[in-house]
Amino acid sequence: MEHELWITKLFNDLLGSTAGSMLESMGLHPHNPARAFTNYVAMEILVAVIIVAVFLYLRTQLSVDNPGKLQHFFELFHDFTKSQAEEQCGHHHGHEFVPMVMTLGVFILFSNLIGLIPGFESPTQFIFVTVGCAVLAFCYYHFEGVRIQGPVKYAKHFAGPVWWLAPLMFPIEIISHTGRNLSLSVRLFANMFAGEQVFLVFLGLVPLGIPMIFIGLHVFVAFLQTYIFMLLTLIYLGGATHTEH
Amino acid sequence: MRKLLTFVFLAIVLTVVAAPVSAQSGTSDKAWGFIAAGFSMAIASAVCGLAQAKATAAACEGMARNPGASDAIRFALILGLALIESLALYTLVIVFMKIDLG
Repeated sequence: MEHELWITKLFNDLLGSTAGSMLESMGLHPHNPARAFTNYVAMEILVAVIIVAVFLYLRTQLSVDNPGKLQHFFELFHDFTKSQAEEQCGHHHGHEFVPMVMTLGVFILFSNLIGLIPGFESPTQFIFVTVGCAVLAFCYYHFEGVRIQGPVKYAKHFAGPVWWLAPLMFPIEIISHTGRNLSLSVRLFANMFAGEQVFLVFLGLVPLGIPMIFIGLHVFVAFLQTYIFMLLTLIYLGGATHTEH
Repeated sequence: MRKLLTFVFLAIVLTVVAAPVSAQSGTSDKAWGFIAAGFSMAIASAVCGLAQAKATAAACEGMARNPGASDAIRFALILGLALIESLALYTLVIVFMKIDLG
């Protein structure tokens, strides 16, 4: 059983049994109902609070003539996401998808990076959190596909290019779409989990110096996996909203 | 011919010398899990390494032939590497889910 982080301990001391009884009333059974907050739930809440605090601070520092470093960083992020969205989803609809995709990207980036600070743990190291992000992306691109193309046309695009291949194409398309859930969630989870495990293994072997190389690799992998998650969501969005002219 | 005969003779001798090992009690069920985990992860990582090497080599050659397309090639390379990496990581996930570390 994982030991509690100090932040989980804080949540559990204040709200542990309340959360436990709420979960039990909904039919779910936590491991320890008196201390129902798990590490990843507490870390997720902390990451959300940190993101909101950073953006509130950014709001007060926004300036057209004299942008600061924080504004530059987030403008860079936003422009990059927007250019990728317009490249993948077409110029007509690309800009509509930027808010959701960038929110996912910011959340995943902050979650991945917070694990590097001692005393904190990446919530994306746990399959539950990454499945949440993946299911959100999945539901979002289907929702956008139905909204932009209409339900009948969207269902027809599962049938493939010619009508007589439809009985073969429908199951294949449905299986591949559910496979996207699996791949999005497991890719992010496995990269973060494996990064930490490799670091721990090498820490057990050589206590000084060498494990830092793996931390460096983990930082790069954190950024890369965020980018891959956002990019794949945009590719799926492009595939779902691609209207034939 | 002589080298082949020497090699075959050596193999037979080593097999005979190693025979008493099978007299020990067999490996327990948990141990088979560990052995399978090691082999499967090794195979997955090896094939993933080969695939990524092929992708990187193709990307380098493309960028060398057409430096103007570097950005597009780099984008395709990063996407391809991440997708291939994820296949090896699926094996790691199965290993962690199925071996009994208790």
